[in-house]
Amino acid sequence: MTLLDFARGPGLQWSLIIMIVGLCWRVIGVFLGRWRKDLSRPRSDDLVQGGLRAIITRSAPAPELEKNIRFQHYTGYIWHIGFFMTVLLYEPHIAFFKSILGFGWPGLPSHLVVIPAAITLAVLVMLMIRRMTHSVMRMITRTDDYLSLIIIISTLVTGLMAYAHMGPRYETMLALHFISVELLFIWIPFSKLAHMFFWLLSRYRIGTFFERKGVKA
Amino acid sequence: MRKNQSLGEYLQGQGVSRRGFLKFCSATASMMALPPSALAQVAEALANARRPSVIWLSFQECTGCTESLTRSHAPTVESLIFDAISLDYHHTLQAAAGHGAEAARMAAMEENAGEYLLVVDGSIPVGNPAYSTIAGISNLDMLKETAANAFAIIAVGTCAAFGGLPHADPNPTGAVAVSDIITDKPIINVSGCPPIPVVITGVLAHFLTFGAIPELDALGRPAAFFGQNIHDRCYRRPFYERGQFAETFDDEGARKGWCLYKLGCKGPTTYNACATLKWNEGTSFPIQSGHGCIGCSEPDFWDKGGFYNPISAGMWGSRDALLGAAAAGAALGVGSALAARRRQKKAQGTEI
Amino acid sequence: MSSLDTIPVTAEVASGNVKPLLHEVRHALKRLANGEDGTVIDLQSIPLAPGEEARIEELLGKGEVRAELDALGPSVVQETSYPGVWLVTHSNTEQVVVGRFIEVTHMPELLKSQQADIEHAISRLEHELES
Repeated sequence: MTLLDFARGPGLQWSLIIMIVGLCWRVIGVFLGRWRKDLSRPRSDDLVQGGLRAIITRSAPAPELEKNIRFQHYTGYIWHIGFFMTVLLYEPHIAFFKSILGFGWPGLPSHLVVIPAAITLAVLVMLMIRRMTHSVMRMITRTDDYLSLIIIISTLVTGLMAYAHMGPRYETMLALHFISVELLFIWIPFSKLAHMFFWLLSRYRIGTFFERKGVKA
Repeated sequence: MRKNQSLGEYLQGQGVSRRGFLKFCSATASMMALPPSALAQVAEALANARRPSVIWLSFQECTGCTESLTRSHAPTVESLIFDAISLDYHHTLQAAAGHGAEAARMAAMEENAGEYLLVVDGSIPVGNPAYSTIAGISNLDMLKETAANAFAIIAVGTCAAFGGLPHADPNPTGAVAVSDIITDKPIINVSGCPPIPVVITGVLAHFLTFGAIPELDALGRPAAFFGQNIHDRCYRRPFYERGQFAETFDDEGARKGWCLYKLGCKGPTTYNACATLKWNEGTSFPIQSGHGCIGCSEPDFWDKGGFYNPISAGMWGSRDALLGAAAAGAALGVGSALAARRRQKKAQGTEI
Repeated sequence: MSSLDTIPVTAEVASGNVKPLLHEVRHALKRLANGEDGTVIDLQSIPLAPGEEARIEELLGKGEVRAELDALGPSVVQETSYPGVWLVTHSNTEQVVVGRFIEVTHMPELLKSQQADIEHAISRLEHELES
């Protein structure tokens, strides 16, 4: 079996299975966890609206803190948007999703997708260097965070190199890209990257919690 | 043609003038991708080339490789090369049959020991050697016996080179490639299902001219013909770059000749000369005719996830497996939540 | 072939090899004029996009000399509108092109009668005269 056969075959199968097992385990485990009963008097009865509002308001930094976290916040948006454009609007990726989901969607001209991919990679590398050199960031960054950065950066690097036919033979580079994505799949449920599946519910929960307390936050 | 006649003498005997011979040499040199400045060397070499004895063994095959070769291109150039070799044994082309044919094979092996070329098409079943036999001799035994005194082996077609169709999952006959059995002789893999005819004769021409095997790639294929992948030479590449793909076989994109990546084209991972040499005397090749490359010159091309699944889709398994994984994960989630609740209850001694 | 011609493939691809090829011919002509050896260029070895080979032929044009050979199929040796630049096309007995060359020379070798053929001719003529 060649590296590419492994990457497109058992590697893909098992990484998807592990990711799904891990995500279902975590999400359902969290949902069925015990919620502490709130014995205080509810100050509002429109908790749903509070929850939904929080989803929107938490997309921007709190006005009091904004100037402190401005850089991290906006570069975060840039690379997240760039990353999703690369993953979701590149036609060979859309073909991958279509084979699993059964439906696809229109994409961008392939040679244009290189732009968001390159920008995302540049921003991520810069943010990683910042994490390693900034005195405060260094103190609060753990192995978990570095591993997430390295894995995502490797998917972008291998993808761009395969696209440009740079480096090793194309089949090898493509296999490396597949494998880096499979590592990402496996890593997602067991790391902070799982926030991609929790962020909506998290914000909603905070929103209802504060709404019940009568706090507009 | 007498065996101890040179190719030059043979052609002269056929009434081919020196001028005709030079024309033949320049076309042959061009076919082998040699520069025109090599013409003198090629002419000298071919004029003096001894006619090699060639034994062609057909094993677990569909005869497509022989068909491809005999339908080929130029009856003048290719058949001359073919005439230039002494084809001492070939099931489809020989007149003899039965004991007489086998006797001819044994005689050729004896007379030309250490010098004859062995051409093999078809895979060799080792699961049970009785699956494919010739004159009561299993393919496995015949290959070993005939390869013992061969100068070199040309494995024609993906079956002989890599196992091919019989080797595809679940490989019921235990089919293997020539290189899995013979390890002490130089083997040239001319893969393809079938190989492009001029590639087969190009290898023979190289052997005639230089008396040696051509430069090979990592899979043992002549680098001159298998050095580039289809994707890099495909005329539809600009559409790939621009993201213009045919989604079905009869949609607007297909009619406009757009890239066939989404319809399963394996061009990016396939190495062959189809995009440049093309088929049927340069008429067309699968992509030009509107069907994606199936990767027929690569090992295990039947098991790469289907001809119509794009490379990027991978072989991710079945929806059932993924749903099963979701159920397993859910069960783990329920289990861990319940365990957590029990621990909390015990710790706090209160009702939830 | 006709139904294949109706496939409306409209890829505008250019190899970028036409001009460099003509420059190579120019250099070869200069060398020939200085008394050096001729040059042969194998057109089939140069990646050319569809239509570019015809364009090269068009650019080179037709000169004063055209020779048709009948050896293992037809061949045409055409001097282009640039004296010293010859276009040689070899076809087999099925009229399929098996070789295309640009020869920069005073006279392509293939047009000359070959030594081996002349010697063969002598013995044939002697035989003819004897009988």
